[in-house]
Amino acid sequence: MKNHDLSRRRFVEHCAHSIFGLSVLPTLGTAAAATRKPGFGKAKNIIFLQLKGGMSHIDTFDPKTGSSKGPADAIKTTADFQVTSFLPQTAKIADHISVIRSMTAKVGVHGPAQYFMRTGFNQRNTIKHPNLGAWAEHYLGSSHATLPSSACINDGPRHGNGFFAPSFSPIPIFNPETGLQNTAVRGGTNQLKNKLQLSQDLSAGFIQRFPDDNVKAYREFYDHTLRLLRSEDLQAFDLSQEKKKTREAYGESKFGQGCLLARRLVEAGIRYIEVTSEGWDMHNNLEADMEEIAPPFDQAYAALITDLEQRGLLESTLVVLATEFGRKPEYSGNGRGHYPICFSTALAGGGVKRGFVYGSSDSKGAQPNDPVTVMDFHATIGWAAGIPLEKPAYTAAGRPMHIGGGKATPVMNLFA
Amino acid sequence: MILKKICAAILIALFAGASFGQQPVKPLRFNGTQIGNAAAAVDRVIAARLAQAGRKANTRASDEIFVRRVYLDAIGRIPSAEEAAAFIESKAPDKRAQLIDQLLLSDGYRSHLFNWLADMIRHKSNIKRSQFHYYERWMKDQIAANRPWDELVYELLTAEGSLAATAQAGYLMRDPGMPLDSLSNTLTIFLGANVSCAQCHDHPFAEWTQKEFYQMAAFFGATDVSDRDPRKVGNKLKDGQISKQDIIAVIAPNLARVETIDEQKLVFPEDYAYSDAKPGTKVKPELVLWERADLQRKAYNVDKKKPEGLRNSFAFWLTHPENPRFATAVANRLWKRAFGLAAIEPIEDLDDLSRTPNPVLIKLLTTIMVKADFDLREYQRVVFNTKAYQAEANVMPPQQDIEKYLFPGPVLRRMTAEQAWDSTLVLVEGPEVDRYLLDRSKRVTQYRLPADSLDDEVVFAAAQKMKAHGKSKNRNRLTAVDYAGDAPNSSEGYTLARASELRQPEQESHFLRVFGQSSRDLADDGSREGNIPQTLVLMNGDIQKLISSTKARVIREASAQRTDKSQVASLYESFFSRPPTRTESARIEQAMKDGMNLSDLAWVLFNTPEFLFVQ
Repeated sequence: MKNHDLSRRRFVEHCAHSIFGLSVLPTLGTAAAATRKPGFGKAKNIIFLQLKGGMSHIDTFDPKTGSSKGPADAIKTTADFQVTSFLPQTAKIADHISVIRSMTAKVGVHGPAQYFMRTGFNQRNTIKHPNLGAWAEHYLGSSHATLPSSACINDGPRHGNGFFAPSFSPIPIFNPETGLQNTAVRGGTNQLKNKLQLSQDLSAGFIQRFPDDNVKAYREFYDHTLRLLRSEDLQAFDLSQEKKKTREAYGESKFGQGCLLARRLVEAGIRYIEVTSEGWDMHNNLEADMEEIAPPFDQAYAALITDLEQRGLLESTLVVLATEFGRKPEYSGNGRGHYPICFSTALAGGGVKRGFVYGSSDSKGAQPNDPVTVMDFHATIGWAAGIPLEKPAYTAAGRPMHIGGGKATPVMNLFA
Repeated sequence: MILKKICAAILIALFAGASFGQQPVKPLRFNGTQIGNAAAAVDRVIAARLAQAGRKANTRASDEIFVRRVYLDAIGRIPSAEEAAAFIESKAPDKRAQLIDQLLLSDGYRSHLFNWLADMIRHKSNIKRSQFHYYERWMKDQIAANRPWDELVYELLTAEGSLAATAQAGYLMRDPGMPLDSLSNTLTIFLGANVSCAQCHDHPFAEWTQKEFYQMAAFFGATDVSDRDPRKVGNKLKDGQISKQDIIAVIAPNLARVETIDEQKLVFPEDYAYSDAKPGTKVKPELVLWERADLQRKAYNVDKKKPEGLRNSFAFWLTHPENPRFATAVANRLWKRAFGLAAIEPIEDLDDLSRTPNPVLIKLLTTIMVKADFDLREYQRVVFNTKAYQAEANVMPPQQDIEKYLFPGPVLRRMTAEQAWDSTLVLVEGPEVDRYLLDRSKRVTQYRLPADSLDDEVVFAAAQKMKAHGKSKNRNRLTAVDYAGDAPNSSEGYTLARASELRQPEQESHFLRVFGQSSRDLADDGSREGNIPQTLVLMNGDIQKLISSTKARVIREASAQRTDKSQVASLYESFFSRPPTRTESARIEQAMKDGMNLSDLAWVLFNTPEFLFVQ
């Protein structure tokens, strides 16, 4: 048994010192100075695209010649870097994006690696870590009066609130075509109004007897929901409001329509939107798989960047292209295995340089130069969102937490 | 102690072949007077503390409030109108005690306690490629047989063998390759030891050091919890007829196993930062103390040398009645389940027992748990029979005051996701839903292979056998064959079985998950907080279609009534276990005249806080 008597404040200092490698806690002064550096807070919105399965860097954003080369050739782009011929549309908007070719991680198993890429933390069985939307909501407040501040498209919330309140959980849209679930009012809004009025009248006694915060919260959720159902906000979730031409530009795929929905949600004021794409795990027949998976992705990604740019939203919206790991350099005509040591991601908008490549891999695509860890990647996004990275958030148990785990530093070179 | 546990294990093993419901339900152990005396002792301790604060206990709750509350707390669902009426109309002077006993012996009890346990131990039907159905079945059997808590936990911690052969192995298999996380969870849920930080560094507020944590972990240092990847075997053995998936389904629960090895292997980590041990050196197992005097307790009298006995020593210590926290932790948890708040909050941190405003109460509850020999049913009998439990509810105190609550009565709380779902089923199907029992254990046990004969031929033959059995392609979807006995109905995409008899946990878009069913990634992670998706479900979800369907039990019963007034009364009794007040009835009758039908009214009542909250 140990009996020391650290106050919470001293604990913070102690941890900051011993765990996070900081000698002193940052003062307000340094935080203020930091905001003057490039990129800080420019990304008012974030669209986080996660390609599940592990996108092969060599067959997309980091083309190689020689033994690592895959089925596709490198093609020219509108920027000073090449991509493979699997990404012809992306090549046309390359001058809008920054590619990171030196991502590095250790975990090569899908589930944990996806968790790691989504949260910036290794998966544990004792704590859940928030996604960047929840971090942003914690530091910056909610982004909209009635809508949640985060959404996730094509996947469930997967505990995106982490150790923050459940209300920070992203609102799920399992299918972009049908939008927000359960918004179709049966019997019309007039009848709904009557029914809600009756329910309110009948609840009056209960509410009076129990002036309880949680009961009150439910009342408020009804108000919010009703406002949502009546308001134009709901239209944000409705893709049928889009012109046919726009919908076609993004492509028919679930990912494409998800990207379009993400743009609509950005316009509606939802700060953080995740869109997932499945099918990137290409072990056996990479060429055929890429021919199937890459075109809808390529079309949607390019359409999203173009659309945001045309609407003047790209400077305030950071589009993150992430995947849990890359794929092995060795290629003999079949597939490639998991490869976390070196892979590619991309950032666009939100104050990030245009037509830029950060870091590189060796000639085989096997080892990164100027490596960027997943933690650094998260710190970079957090920085762009205007989150004070050195300021801890506390778990319910009083444990101080930082984006990317506290040792992470944003890649400042990525910002214009 | 150990002998008692082993005997019980044998008994349980004998019964394991029997199907659900046929197991002999152990009769209640204590008579009404004994229970009444214990409950009165609890009430005296609460009253004394209230008096000290110049306060009084709440008045006794009405039968209407009590019946709904005790159904929800004891068996996890609201009573049907009929069940509520039977109780309310009874003239028996001890009808509350009778009802408590009746509920604790019913099928619903198993279902409800399973939900509690599943949330605590993070139970999932499938983890990676292994199915945990046999383990699930085993837990339900233990609850149905009212297995004492100490025996049950002892078995979970000491299980040996594969998921296919030893159901209990599921507990340690929850964290394969993560012995430190596993221990942290074990200490937190069973002892309320706040150790999560000590896993990586000395705990700053609590007393635990990293060294102590490692010394505890060393008790699992001679335990190999591995889930060797079945895909390699799958790749090797697949052929034209048998797919990789078939092979994996057969081999995975056989490969996932807990095994004791003959050497304690845990060493201090390379980044160990304190001077009390050297990085990389072997850790010596040592049991943690809350206070010096703990050493005198019999729980500490264990062997710490023989590697093969380490896990049993740990389990002996952890589950011993004289463990400083084991009885307290479970007593405190079950108290919270009944009252909405624990005798000591939070339940995960019992390091300092003097923190509560009423230390005598937690001491007494601990004593009752020990005196009941960890019989959770008997303990809950005491709790439900207290005047405190049977009093009117308070609103939930604000966050900063919840540790100061003195229990003049229970607190108002939202139903758990499971209670909300199960109660909805009562309205749609009726209380008969309690009888459906999901049992997919055969999917695992049918292909149980001896550990020493996992050679290719045997595995391949088992996969062929499985194929011949016509394993359902979509192993995630529940069908009639997955239920023992009668299968539940399905409607609007929902299987109408209780939460405990569905997938663990349900899919993210399911009613249960939207209302806060734990993802089972973390211990005790169910949530009772509201959000917009919930209100959307309540207003427009498919669940509404079920409730307001003319086939729904609640609508059928109401429409059998002749007058508007009696129809309204019927609805109220189904939803709230009480008749409407005169004002309420008049208001609704007016709405009916204005064109609202019974389905509309079911919608309306479903969307009131009185439905979703337990008072």
